[in-house]
Amino acid sequence: MAHADVKHHHHEEVSKWPFFIGVGGLLTTIAFTAFFAWGWKFIGLILFGVSLISILFGITGWANEHFEKDREYGLGALGTFLFILTEVVIFGTMFAAFWTARVTHAYEWANWVPEGVSISMAALLTLILWTSSYTIWKAEEVLENEGDTGKTIKWVFFTFSLGVLFVILHVSEWIHLWKEGFTLSVNMYGTGFYALTGLHTSHVLVGLIAHLYCIWLLATGKMNQYRPTVLRGVSAYWHFVDFMWLLVALTAYVLGTMAI
Amino acid sequence: MREAIHVEKPYFLASLREWLFTTDHKKIGILYFTVSYVFFLVAGLFGMGVRLEQAQPGMQVVSYDTYNYFLTGHGVVMLLWWAIAAHIGGFGNFLLPLMIGARDLAFPRLNALSWWMFFGASVLVLLTLIPGNQIKMMWTGYPPFSSNPDAGVTALYVFVIHLLGASSIATAVNFIVTYLKMRAPGVTFWKTNMYVHTLIAANVIQLIGVPSLAGAVTMLLLDTYFGTNFFNPAKGGDPLLYQNVFWFYSHPVVYVQVLPIFGFFSEIVPVFARRPLFGYHTMVFAVWGIVALSFIVWIHHMFVSGVPNWIRVLMSYTTLLIAVPTGIKIFNWMLTLYKGAIQLRSQMLYMLGGIFMFLIGGLTGIPNAMVAIDLGISDSLFVVGHFHYVLGMAVTLGILGAIIHWFPLATGKFYPENLGKISFWVIFAGANIFYFFQMVVGMLGNPRRYPDYPPIPEWAALHMIQTIGALILGVGIIIFTWGMIKGLISGEKAPQNPWKSPSLEWRLPVPAPAHNFGDEPPKIEKDWHPYRFDKLEEGNK
Repeated sequence: MAHADVKHHHHEEVSKWPFFIGVGGLLTTIAFTAFFAWGWKFIGLILFGVSLISILFGITGWANEHFEKDREYGLGALGTFLFILTEVVIFGTMFAAFWTARVTHAYEWANWVPEGVSISMAALLTLILWTSSYTIWKAEEVLENEGDTGKTIKWVFFTFSLGVLFVILHVSEWIHLWKEGFTLSVNMYGTGFYALTGLHTSHVLVGLIAHLYCIWLLATGKMNQYRPTVLRGVSAYWHFVDFMWLLVALTAYVLGTMAI
Repeated sequence: MREAIHVEKPYFLASLREWLFTTDHKKIGILYFTVSYVFFLVAGLFGMGVRLEQAQPGMQVVSYDTYNYFLTGHGVVMLLWWAIAAHIGGFGNFLLPLMIGARDLAFPRLNALSWWMFFGASVLVLLTLIPGNQIKMMWTGYPPFSSNPDAGVTALYVFVIHLLGASSIATAVNFIVTYLKMRAPGVTFWKTNMYVHTLIAANVIQLIGVPSLAGAVTMLLLDTYFGTNFFNPAKGGDPLLYQNVFWFYSHPVVYVQVLPIFGFFSEIVPVFARRPLFGYHTMVFAVWGIVALSFIVWIHHMFVSGVPNWIRVLMSYTTLLIAVPTGIKIFNWMLTLYKGAIQLRSQMLYMLGGIFMFLIGGLTGIPNAMVAIDLGISDSLFVVGHFHYVLGMAVTLGILGAIIHWFPLATGKFYPENLGKISFWVIFAGANIFYFFQMVVGMLGNPRRYPDYPPIPEWAALHMIQTIGALILGVGIIIFTWGMIKGLISGEKAPQNPWKSPSLEWRLPVPAPAHNFGDEPPKIEKDWHPYRFDKLEEGNK
C-alpha cells in the first residue's frame, strides 16, 4: 500500500507564512470592494499595495521554510495535477460563455467581428508558446538526468523569455484592438475574446513568476537533481497553459472570426 | 492484542502561538469547527428572524430589506459554513489522517492556508453586518438582480465565494493526495472507513465543481464593475448562462454536504448495532455512483427557466436515477440494524433521526424531480420544506451526533448523555412540526422568498404552527450547545475506545496525542477491517 516512507521529527508544528498569504488574500478583496463598491479609491489602492506585500512576504517565507525543514516526499506532482484539473473547469466556464453566445447569436455575429483580429497573429503566438513548452521540458530533463543546475537555469530562462515575448505581443495586440473600438463591453464577442485571452494571460503571468522562482531556487542551490518537485510542478502547469492556449486561440480567433 | 502507545501530551495542550499558527490537522479541524458552529448559531438566528416575520400575515417584525438580508445570510452561512466547513473543514481535518493511520495531511502548510482563506471569508461575512453592506441577492445571486444596487454590495458576495472556493480547492487537493498516498500499510481501498470514502468523494466534487461556481461569480463581478456582457441579452449575453454555470456546481454541492453525513451514519450505526456495516461494497459503489450522477442533473433547478423540453426530460430521468444509489444506502443502514444488539445511545438516536429525516426529504424530492409536478410546486415553500428535511435536518442531526461520538477523542471527556437524549427529542420534534407544515403550506400555493402572504386563515394557522416548531427546534439547539459547554468543562472522563469500535482512530489514547500514532504508522493486522466487531468482542472476553 502506498505510504510515504517518512520519519517524522517532533518539532513544533507551526508556520506563520500561510497567515500572511491568507490575510493578503482577504485584503485584496477588501481593496477591490473599497475601490469599486465603496468609492474609496485611495484607500483601495493603499490596501491593494499592502495585500501584495503581505502575499509576497508570505510566499517567500513559505519557500524558505519548505526548503529548510521539509523532506521531499514527491507528493507535489500529484497535487499539481489535481490543481490543473480544477483550472480546466475554470477555463470551461469561460468557454461555455463564449460558445453559448456564438451559437445563439450566429446570425448577428459577423457584424461583431473587428478588422484587427488576425489568425496569423494567433499562429505566431502559438508557435512561441509551444516552443516554450519544449524548452521547459528540456530544463526538466537536464536537471533530472544530468543534474547540471547551470544548464537547467539556461533552459528555464529561455522559457521565461518566450513567455515574456508572448505577453508583450499579446498586450500590444489588445491595445490595437481596443483602440479600434473592440472593447470588453462592445458586444459578447468582445467580452468573450478578452475574457478567454485575459484569463489565459493571467495564467501565463503566474507561470512567469514561477519561472523566476525556479531560477532563484536553482541559483541558490535549494532545488537540485534530488529535489526536482517544484520544477516538475511548474513544468506540468506550463504545459497545461500552453495546451490551453490552443483551445483559447481556436475559440477566440478561429471560431470567433469564422463566417457562420 | 493492541501495541502499547507511548504516552504523549494531548494535542490541545499548546501555547497560544502554536494554536494561532498551527499546521496540525487536529488543531485546524477544531478551529474550523469552532468558527462554523458560531456561524451556525448566527445563521439560525437569521432564520428565526425570517420565521417570526412570517408567523402572521403582514409585516410586523423586520423591514423588507432586513428580511432579504436575513434570508440571504441564512442561506449562505448555513450552506457554506455549517453544511460544508463544519464537517469537511472540521471533522474531515480531524478524522481523515487518524482513520487512515497517517501522521498529518499531505501538505500541512497548505492546510493552514486553507484555514486562513476560510477565516478571510468569515471576516467578509461579518463585514456585511455593517449597515449599507448587506447582501440581499439570496444565496443563489441570480443576475440581473444581483448586479443591481438594491441587491447590496455584489463584490462582497462574489469574494465570499472566491475566498471560500480557493480554500475548498486547496483542501480538496490536500485530502485527495493524503488519501491516495498516506494510508498506513494495510488500509486498502476496500478496508477504508465509509466516512473516508464519502469525504474523498465529496472532495472530488469540490475539485471539479467549485471552479465552476467561481467562474459564474467572476462573470457576475465583471458584468457589475467592468461592463462586460456575459448576462446582458442586449449585447449577446444570456442570464441563463449564470444559472447553468452556477448549478453545475451548486447541485453537486448538496452531495458534498450530505455524503460525509452518510459517512457518519455508516460509522456510528454499526458501532451501536454491534454488526458490520451491511453491504459495504455496494455502499462504496453507491457513493461513487452519486458522484457521477451529481454532475448531470443540474437542470432540475431550472425546470421553470425556459430550457428546452428534451433537456428537462433527460435531467428528470437522471435525477430520478439518483434514488437508486440513495435507496441502496438506506436499505444498507436498515439491514445493519436487523438482528443487531442495538444500543440507543444519544449519538445513535441522532443517526436514526437523521436517516428518518433523510428518508422524508428523499421521498419528497421525487415529485420535485418530475417536470410535470415540479412546474406546479417550483419556487413554493414545499421545496423549502423538502430541502430542510435533507440539507437542514439530515445534515444537522448527522453533525450533532458526530460531535457526541467523537467528543471523547477531541476532548478526553464524554458529552453528557442525558442532554444528548433530551436535545435530540426536542430538535426532532421541533424540526418535524416546522418543516412538515412548511411543505403543506407550500402545496397550498405559498411561494418561497416573499416576506408577506395574503391573510388566508389556513395559511396563517400553518405559519403559526411552523413558527412554534421553529422555536422548539431553537430550544433544542440551545440545549445541545449547553451540553457541549458542560461536557468541555465538567464532562465525565472517557476511557480509550469508549464505544468499542474497531476503527483506527480509536486505537489512540483519548484525547488524541499531539503526534497521532507517533513516528511509525500503526501496525494493522491482516484480518483487520473498520467494521469487524467479532475480533474486538473476543479480545474483551
